[in-house]
Amino acid sequence: MFFYYIKLALLSYRRNPVLSTLMVFAIAVGIGAFMVVYTLTYLMGGDPIPQKSDQLYHIQFDYGDPAVSVFEPPPQLAYRDVMAMLEAPFDFPRTATSRFSEAIEPPSQNIAPFFANGRGALSDFFTMFNVPFLYGGPWGENSDTNGEQVAVLSRELNDRLFGGENSVGRNLDLGGLVFTIVGVVDEWQPIPKFYDLNNGQFNISEEVYIPWHLIASQELRRSGNTNCWAPPEGDDFQAFLNAECAWIQYWVELPDQNAFNEYQTFLSNYVEEQRAFGRMRVPIDKRLYNVIEWMDEQEALPNEIKVLTVLAGLLLAVCLLNTVGLLLAKFLGKSAELGVRQALGANKSSLIIQHTIETGVLGTIGGLIGLGFAVLGMKGVKILLSGDIPVEWLHLDMTMALTTVGLAVFSGIFAGLYPIWRTSRINPAIHLKTQ
Amino acid sequence: MLQMTNIGKTFLTGQVQTKALDQINLQVDEGEFVTITGPSGCGKTTFLNIAGLLETASSGQYLLDGEDVSHLGDRQRAKLRNQKIGFIFQSFNLMPDLNLFDNVDVPLRYRGLSRGDRHQRIEEALTNVGLWSRRKHLPAQLSGGQQQRVAIARALAGSPRFLLADEPTGNLDSKTAAGVMSLLHEINAKGTTIIMVTHDPVLAKNSRRNIDILDGQIRDDARRNTAAVA
Repeated sequence: MFFYYIKLALLSYRRNPVLSTLMVFAIAVGIGAFMVVYTLTYLMGGDPIPQKSDQLYHIQFDYGDPAVSVFEPPPQLAYRDVMAMLEAPFDFPRTATSRFSEAIEPPSQNIAPFFANGRGALSDFFTMFNVPFLYGGPWGENSDTNGEQVAVLSRELNDRLFGGENSVGRNLDLGGLVFTIVGVVDEWQPIPKFYDLNNGQFNISEEVYIPWHLIASQELRRSGNTNCWAPPEGDDFQAFLNAECAWIQYWVELPDQNAFNEYQTFLSNYVEEQRAFGRMRVPIDKRLYNVIEWMDEQEALPNEIKVLTVLAGLLLAVCLLNTVGLLLAKFLGKSAELGVRQALGANKSSLIIQHTIETGVLGTIGGLIGLGFAVLGMKGVKILLSGDIPVEWLHLDMTMALTTVGLAVFSGIFAGLYPIWRTSRINPAIHLKTQ
Repeated sequence: MLQMTNIGKTFLTGQVQTKALDQINLQVDEGEFVTITGPSGCGKTTFLNIAGLLETASSGQYLLDGEDVSHLGDRQRAKLRNQKIGFIFQSFNLMPDLNLFDNVDVPLRYRGLSRGDRHQRIEEALTNVGLWSRRKHLPAQLSGGQQQRVAIARALAGSPRFLLADEPTGNLDSKTAAGVMSLLHEINAKGTTIIMVTHDPVLAKNSRRNIDILDGQIRDDARRNTAAVA
């Protein structure tokens, strides 16, 4: 009977093409708009590293002093605290990381020097965050401690400087210093850029990576946000490093609950120790945030997107309400036919199934058209956002496409519940005489 | 095969109660051709709807083939309608967007018959009314008489025990009506019980049994030994 009901649904569409098309478009517009916004939410707010997002923890300290001022705990750490973290007696993978921007002198004279966005990181950074390599690999831990001038390039920078060839072992002139290239990262653009949410969560990944200690030892040109709550005692770089200024992100990988507890205890002791020196006067309960918690804390998903999601949901609801009205008009308009069907042996259940399938068919057609609208909508969003953030990742994947059609079918059936219920209560005897 | 005892039907509209049928006592035997007459609003159609299990009686007992059907649920009533009862309506009630084949197919679909079985029954039914060659046509492409013959074919395709006809010739000219009546008499002659509501005094006069209803009650139940075929 399923295919018979599909046939009846298509005949019913043909009988009332205008009404049916209105319903299909109401569903398509609602679904299309909703899916564009929902896809943005899904892409921007999804888990960027699902394999280990519950094992990677960001550290935050509350440096506030309630006697002086009240401010939100900064999302980054001060240099002296990072150094203390690095000296902690743990083997857990960890990385301090912060941004810099330095001039690159290309090896080819045909390319003019340019500034590149760089990231200082420890060797664990690459394994902790599952960074894929095209050539070579991360530098070793010794390079971190010995301050070796080694570098990892992004694929784009490698293409630009070396025409995409394997550049491992070659030199890179960065900020007037010569670095040895040890690896080239393959395409890597986590969305959002969870490891540095406070410096543009949708920014393009950095072009070059070097050992983090070099930023301080070589006094490289830092970039990114810096929060200071006390002036440096001097004008030189060392004074800045010693100052109460937060500019470094610090991540640690804690594989299980025991490790978490152990590290939490260490941090509590450290804060107590610092409080004895008059720092960190506002104790906070939470100092370790996993990736998802950190994204929530830092509001990685912009509020505008949340508002848009609600508005798109409301638009979908309005479209579905219209569909309810149109379906009601359509179904009650064929009361006589339903009376005949009942006279010929249809029971209420079969009428309900017939009309549920009919609404499902309308939902499916609406979903397919809505999918087209969503694809067009995503192209529009790309045009709007291009230039501000990388937009290559803005697309409907198969999951979202199937979700679109599935949601449309569900919406169609949902919109049909009341009309179907009304239809099933029709007294056939009344309509048989009046047809 | 059909026995009604003290059947009553009351409609409630707001605070107003309307008695459509009152104390109907009736027995129709297998193979009978019964006409139901009476003025408009006397309860003829309500009687037919109750007989056809499209409505339930407010009181009384209704036995169909010896089975008490007064309190059956929707599913069981639908099954009985599908298997034992055929309906013919004044306005034919064919599905306008289904061709003749598919129109006759409707009750067979609800019975859950196989594709081959359905095809055989549809071919037989449409051949009997002389319209098999036009099976791909839509109802709108046929005359009124032809449409009623399709409706009869649809009613007969499921081999029902009895036919309920509500003024089947009411929308037809006299010549076409005579053809339809002739067809109904043929069907009756083959053993199908027919109960037909009509306004036509000639048809009533010529039937072997005519029941006259007035104000929801049986006023007269007249039997004749022979009936003239219209």
